[in-house]
Amino acid sequence: MSSGELAPLETDGATPIGGHRGILAVRAARWFRVALWPLGLAAGIGAVWPSLSGAGLGVDDALYLLAGWSFIASGLVGWARRPENRVGPVMVVTGFFWFAAALWAQAEGEILFTTGVALRDFWTVLVVLLLVTFPSGRLGSRIDGALLAVFFAVLLPLNVLWLLFLEEATWNAFLVWPNTRVADSIDTAQRAILLAAIAGLMTMVVRRWLEAGAPLRRRLIPVVVGNAALCVYGLWLVVAWIRDEPAQLLGRISLLAFAFVPLVFLVGIFRARMARSAVAELVVELGAIPDPAGLRDALARSLRDPSLTLAFWLPEYEAYADLEGRQVELRHEDSGRATTVIDRDDEHVAVLLHDAAFKEEPALLDAVSAAAGMALENARLQAELRARLEELRGSRARIVEAAQGERQRLERNLHDGAQQRLVAISLELGRLETRVGGDPATMELVERAKREATESLRELRELARGIHPALVTDHGLTVALEALVARSAIPIDLDIQLDHRLPEAFEVAAYYVVAEGITNVAKYAGATTTRVTVRRSGGRAVVEVIDDGVGGADTRGGSGLRGLADRLEALGGRLRVWSPNGGGTRVRAEMPCV
Amino acid sequence: MRVVLADDSVLLREGVARLLEDAGMEVVGQCGSVDDLLLKVRSYSPDVAIVDIRMPPTHTHEGFRAAEEIRAHYPSVGVLVLSQFVELPLAMRLLAESAEGTGYLLKDRVSDVEEFADAVRRVGEGGSAIDPTIVSQLLGRRRDESPVARLSQRERAVLELMAEGLSNQGIADRLTVTERAVQKHITSIFRKLGLPESTDGHRRVLAVLAFLRS
Repeated sequence: MSSGELAPLETDGATPIGGHRGILAVRAARWFRVALWPLGLAAGIGAVWPSLSGAGLGVDDALYLLAGWSFIASGLVGWARRPENRVGPVMVVTGFFWFAAALWAQAEGEILFTTGVALRDFWTVLVVLLLVTFPSGRLGSRIDGALLAVFFAVLLPLNVLWLLFLEEATWNAFLVWPNTRVADSIDTAQRAILLAAIAGLMTMVVRRWLEAGAPLRRRLIPVVVGNAALCVYGLWLVVAWIRDEPAQLLGRISLLAFAFVPLVFLVGIFRARMARSAVAELVVELGAIPDPAGLRDALARSLRDPSLTLAFWLPEYEAYADLEGRQVELRHEDSGRATTVIDRDDEHVAVLLHDAAFKEEPALLDAVSAAAGMALENARLQAELRARLEELRGSRARIVEAAQGERQRLERNLHDGAQQRLVAISLELGRLETRVGGDPATMELVERAKREATESLRELRELARGIHPALVTDHGLTVALEALVARSAIPIDLDIQLDHRLPEAFEVAAYYVVAEGITNVAKYAGATTTRVTVRRSGGRAVVEVIDDGVGGADTRGGSGLRGLADRLEALGGRLRVWSPNGGGTRVRAEMPCV
Repeated sequence: MRVVLADDSVLLREGVARLLEDAGMEVVGQCGSVDDLLLKVRSYSPDVAIVDIRMPPTHTHEGFRAAEEIRAHYPSVGVLVLSQFVELPLAMRLLAESAEGTGYLLKDRVSDVEEFADAVRRVGEGGSAIDPTIVSQLLGRRRDESPVARLSQRERAVLELMAEGLSNQGIADRLTVTERAVQKHITSIFRKLGLPESTDGHRRVLAVLAFLRS
């Protein structure tokens, strides 16, 4: 234990309990802990046995007993509930060392008794160990390590050294060089160094407290309480030294404080557990939050740091940006803010800017950033997928629009070119007809040429209409559909409820849906009534062609409706066809429109 | 008969102008844009303006809008709209207020010089000229139970020509029957359709069209 390296308080369950330790080891540990309860009880009773069997239990004895049992009991509870956390076992050991000096003092034999004296203050080293490693489970700085070493040196090797010279005590089995002056000097040095070390420890705690933000301060309470107890103890030492007799009240306060310390540490362990369960909640919560703003809030909640900022790594700019896309400068450590980089698969994903105090709890940060990393990766993949989908939809729409533009251009070329020329030709033929007069053979020839031209014009007109419904572009969907219905071979009820024009691509698509629908009804349905409706419904334009014919239309394969469905989907709309056998056909096209 | 011609195809415009001049009309102005057309209508006060439906700048419905404007602001000027397509809803819009001095024909009709010249003349004289395609669409929409179904074949032919805007004489010429025979058919038609008989040409057209549209 001299290294002071406790297991991290936040292991996030990383140690597989049934894994390398094995279930047997876990059971053995449990029985061991169960056995320690009566052992602790016995140690306490044993420690105060002289008083119990003699003058009876005094206040000091009771407080002494309370403090020792507090360490053992709290330690055992903590150990049982958080087996992976060494604060529990350390407290148990502290409790036993607490009682050890008094037990050894009752021992028969000078060697045992003297060993007890040598070890009587060792529990202090363990308390210091708890203080300097809580809550991160690691030594915060070199000074902490040095302080721990000083406590150890003063309370164990120097104690032994003191015993080597102490000649006053008859029980001293360690006496080698009897020399009261040296012994006294060592004792003085011990007390002085101890006081200095306590002062140093206090300074360190105050510094940590001042540096900590609100979230960590809560977690530092056990350390503060433990230090307070240690200070009272130090004060008691000073007073005892100066007055050369122990100060009773101060001693009792000190004992009471030490009885309190383990309880506070126990709460500290459970709070760490609560923080860990907050991470578990975070993981669950993140599963349901794909959006980055929600992610930031969830992280801030689970770390209890409202000032938390989430910045995303933008590889193309090699910079971090916040949710609004503004560039974020990573600040220096000493500004009270700290950064935790979230990496996934060796790639930067994001960075958390948070209260510097969380550096004290690396395990909590690790857990949170691992959870966030997962969610961020998910969000990134989703965003990427959405972007690709959007790109694809955009390119489909552009293809449709380009094709439509091309068709429109073709139709116009036909109109302005071939059709005009054919009209001009038939006009000239007409004029010719009026002039040749008389010769029936020539008249017949001109008449035939005129008929050809007229027929060509009719075919060309149909062709042009098929290429692009110019009427839609020129006069709007309503006029175009009225014209379509007027030309139709079957009677159709037309009901159009549009307050203004739709985007042209939608109008053309809607026109084609109705044209194709009507053609199919006329060809296959054998319907008595056919109804065409166009209306707006909840931000969508809905076009329906409904007939009461035979139904059973083939909606798959190479039907014209298939191509229309593709066109509509490219525009963000959709086409549905219901055609049960004998139940008529209902063609429904929906298009988004604001 | 004084005519203003508007069509952005010079080839066609020239052809129509020659045709009309051959038929003894006077083409007082030709133009390729709507603004020019309105200007010429105002300055020349022609009997009739012949307007292509698709004209610059957008080649969509400029001609149609100009026709409506002339109808609204220059009631004395007849308007004959020509188009590569004739569409029922557009015809209805054009005839919405009155069939007087209004015509709407497929461009192809220029091949029949006499009929075309007659149509221009009718519109110029305050009559009407509705394309047979429109009339047949109107008739085609009638259901079997319609009174139109009760008309004889000859009566139906007379009804169509009447709807196109032809006068009794015109119908008689087209069907090569006497004017008296036409008059008899018309009386019978009006009785069968339950319409009050009217001799006034364009009102008669409108009544027939309104009946067919209903």
